Amino acid sequence: MSKKEKRILAFLAVTALTLGVAPRAEAMHIMEGYLPGGYCIAWGVLCLPFLAAGFFAIRKTLQERRNLITLLAMSGAFIFVISSLKIPSVTGSCSHMTGTGLGAILFGPSAVSILGLIVLLFQALLLGHGGLTTIGANTFSMAIAGPFVSWGIYLLCQKLKVNKRAGIFLAAALGDLVTYCVTALQMAVVHNADSTFGEALIKFLTVFAPTQIPLAVIEGIITVLIVMGLETYAKPELKTIGFLKEAK
Amino acid sequence: MIAIDKLCYNSRLRYENAGEKSAFAVITLCICVMSRSIAVAGVVLAVTGILTVKKGGVPVFRYLKFLTIPLAFLLLSTLAILFHIKREPLDLFAIPLGGWYLTAGTDSFFYAVQLVFTALAAVSCLYFLSFTTPMPDILEVLKKLHCPALLMELMLLIYRFIFILLDTADAISTSQSCRLGNRNYRTALKSFGLLGSALMIRAVQRSGRLYDAMEARCYDGRIQVLSESRPPRKKVIAWIILFDGALLIFAIWRRFFS
Repeated sequence: MSKKEKRILAFLAVTALTLGVAPRAEAMHIMEGYLPGGYCIAWGVLCLPFLAAGFFAIRKTLQERRNLITLLAMSGAFIFVISSLKIPSVTGSCSHMTGTGLGAILFGPSAVSILGLIVLLFQALLLGHGGLTTIGANTFSMAIAGPFVSWGIYLLCQKLKVNKRAGIFLAAALGDLVTYCVTALQMAVVHNADSTFGEALIKFLTVFAPTQIPLAVIEGIITVLIVMGLETYAKPELKTIGFLKEAK
Repeated sequence: MIAIDKLCYNSRLRYENAGEKSAFAVITLCICVMSRSIAVAGVVLAVTGILTVKKGGVPVFRYLKFLTIPLAFLLLSTLAILFHIKREPLDLFAIPLGGWYLTAGTDSFFYAVQLVFTALAAVSCLYFLSFTTPMPDILEVLKKLHCPALLMELMLLIYRFIFILLDTADAISTSQSCRLGNRNYRTALKSFGLLGSALMIRAVQRSGRLYDAMEARCYDGRIQVLSESRPPRKKVIAWIILFDGALLIFAIWRRFFS
């Protein structure tokens, strides 16, 4: 083999490896042990105010309407289950949605922050997605940043009288993209030893883009389908869920 | 349905005191993550792996298969750390791409190897906990650590409901497949949307009925669950302290004196 042939082979092998792995798109959980201790604690602390706000909001709601506890728990279980189901993907391989955009639209972002924390803990322990040390970072990207952005966009679209379906699609898809960008940022802050922060960020964004961008689009479409289904068949139930959002 | 949940109920270490197991897993995990050394990670990987497989009785192949769950994430992000696209080549190797180089340096190579080992060892700590300790036991430990009552209650309920909803989702998706709901991509998407909304509707209806049932049985805001008490054994605690102490000293020695 000549040198050139070897290079071509190496390049092809790397590409094949990347693309071969790419279809197994998980929602972007940072795996256990990937962040050093200091950063784990820092992201955890950053989550605390949001979690505390969510906790107090939930407690207030429950003090007024005790019977919502089962609904709240069912919502948490729903987020877990919807994010553990395989969604149909173009390549026929398995990928999962985050479900947090949907959660934010249905239950409001403050409830989702607490539910998201619990769901992430269960995902780490029951499914091996994410981890205990990285739970702070994952909570920030998936249960706080994503849902808050989704919620904001959803409200904004309602204000601007954008078509409802388009609004839901945008909210879910952009929420997913924000989760992906925040995760890339969390990785780049830590792992930029021999390059600059910006360079590392671009690298992480590129590497995860082929899996995450299609996923965001699919998540958007599915969220629209689910919410539309609910509006058609479950008006009274949606009204019950609405109570979770009111207390803020 | 959830493989880890099934496996941990069959584990031979299931009836050890949950506090001991959690303490062992979490302390080892912390030392492993803080140390950032390949040697420490190797020791942790070996010890927790052997404990889970040999002592706990988890089939080796299933254990290895579970270790590959985060592999996609690990590979992709390690690629991002390892490779650079630069004007001038670095020392390890370089593949020219018309004026630019896809290149890697020795430093980042060792950094990446260390990261992969640490991450795998950390995952093995997590798996030790989740393969030997059923979720209710872990919740019991959290309760002893004074986790807020509201959170405890939510977690307990969510854990129960997960299985109910998974069952429902399973039944719905089977019947969708029977009715050619996953014939092509378009129908598959539509089916998934329908599944999601049906699941939500069922969940809401069920939660209402469940609350009524709980109230009928004198629910007053606290769910009392009997826990079997398995007192911690001194011998096990001594072993954990011995191992983690030695590991800590080893980690400090690797970090500062070698």
